[in-house]
Amino acid sequence: MTETTVILVLVVITALGFDFTNGFHDTANAMATSIATGALRPKVAVALSGILNLIGAFLSVEVALTVSNAVVRIQNSDGTPKESLTSDGGTALLLIVLAGLVGSIVWNLLTWLLGLPSSSSHALFGGLIGATIAGLGWAGVNWNGDGSKLDGVVGKVILPALMSPVIAGVVAAVGTWIIYRVTVGVAARFTDNGFRWGQIGSASLVSLAHGTNDAQKTMGVITLALIASGEWTDTKNIPFWVKASCALAIALGTYLGGWRIIRTLGKGLVEIAPPQGMAAESASAAVILASSHLGFALSTTHVATGSILGSGVGKPGAQVRWRVAGRMVLAWLITLPSAAVVGALMWFIGDAIGGLAGALVIFLILLAAAGYMYWHSRKTPVDHNNVNDEWDETAERREPAGTAA
Amino acid sequence: MSNLGFALEGAWKVLLAGLILGAGLPAIFALGIRSMAFGAGGDTEVDHAAPHPAGRVIAYVLFALVVLIALLGIVFIVASGFGKALSFEHIYPTIVDK
Repeated sequence: MTETTVILVLVVITALGFDFTNGFHDTANAMATSIATGALRPKVAVALSGILNLIGAFLSVEVALTVSNAVVRIQNSDGTPKESLTSDGGTALLLIVLAGLVGSIVWNLLTWLLGLPSSSSHALFGGLIGATIAGLGWAGVNWNGDGSKLDGVVGKVILPALMSPVIAGVVAAVGTWIIYRVTVGVAARFTDNGFRWGQIGSASLVSLAHGTNDAQKTMGVITLALIASGEWTDTKNIPFWVKASCALAIALGTYLGGWRIIRTLGKGLVEIAPPQGMAAESASAAVILASSHLGFALSTTHVATGSILGSGVGKPGAQVRWRVAGRMVLAWLITLPSAAVVGALMWFIGDAIGGLAGALVIFLILLAAAGYMYWHSRKTPVDHNNVNDEWDETAERREPAGTAA
Repeated sequence: MSNLGFALEGAWKVLLAGLILGAGLPAIFALGIRSMAFGAGGDTEVDHAAPHPAGRVIAYVLFALVVLIALLGIVFIVASGFGKALSFEHIYPTIVDK
């Protein structure tokens, strides 16, 4: 086995690892509301979401090879890697991708530890952007596109991130308001059960859409790495094992469930009742599907959060915890730059050591960071047993002396 | 046109589609629920009377409509994944090449 092959194997493992974190980071987007209202038992919810993600990932056959083209210039327009990056057998490109993925995973795990629903797509793009800046300089990043279509970091990442939560929030608020208007005065024995079913249906649609949208990003990254190292040449198709392994990784991640994030989205933002849950998930599903149809790239996380906030705004008398929402928005703002900083740092470390040893070192840094964060999470575990406990905002706040019970 | 222009152009279409499907479908569903409870006591009911059967029929029609549109949504995802598109030129939806 050559050095490049070993680095390629590391890239594939890391990419699947990212896909896995993508899965559990985003379980909440589809299932937080159904779990919070008791429409589905927690374990059933994550199992359903996992299966639908698996199916969704297999349904995404559109070639996602150019997924990174929108933000970084490491590929030609047909998806093949730039020749300047593959002249040494592909290690230059592989190092950029590996460093970028490490940055994405580290940030995804950190925000999971904090229970913050940050965007996995932003983490992925951020990591790649950081590693590309480190490796190729500022010009290696496609900041603004060429003005002919929505493109570049601004067009594909920043603007949609600003707009999509607002759009989803408006849709969910309108939906919630209408639902409560229509069913005013109807006995609870009809509304609660009925809307729980509506919630399950709409949440399933979000899970399916998530599988088709997110798994193919990792498929594209792995295929790019395979082409760079000469293991694959077809730019129109991706190897079946890549598709199958990505689908499995995202489904397993989803099934594992990011309970910390589910808790924040389901209990932290708004106390969700079944009608709100249904309005929120319907809004998410409609916005995600409409935008993927229109080529308006967005993050499922931003949409889901906006929807849940909107469902709180739209219900008369509901309380929205804006402090929690503020923390989330802050996490969104810093996700891309933070993942970029880690990605760039990893590239510098990997490049300074050089070759296979460099790649191995940053892979080990990733393992150490992941292990540390997992260990840290065990100190205050959140799982399917306590995910729905009452949200106690004072527990998060620094308590004034003498008031703690 | 700048990125901002393209983004705004996409955003209002997404908002429109979102409102029609994402708020419209739940509204139809809510009408179904209301219809389901037709003839029964309101939210302060004490007798738990059985609702009128006609309400139930209308409710099922409304629920079926919502499910049908949602299923079309799934077909839409699958079809676009395989390079196909949904066409309504025959009124009932058919799957055609993009």
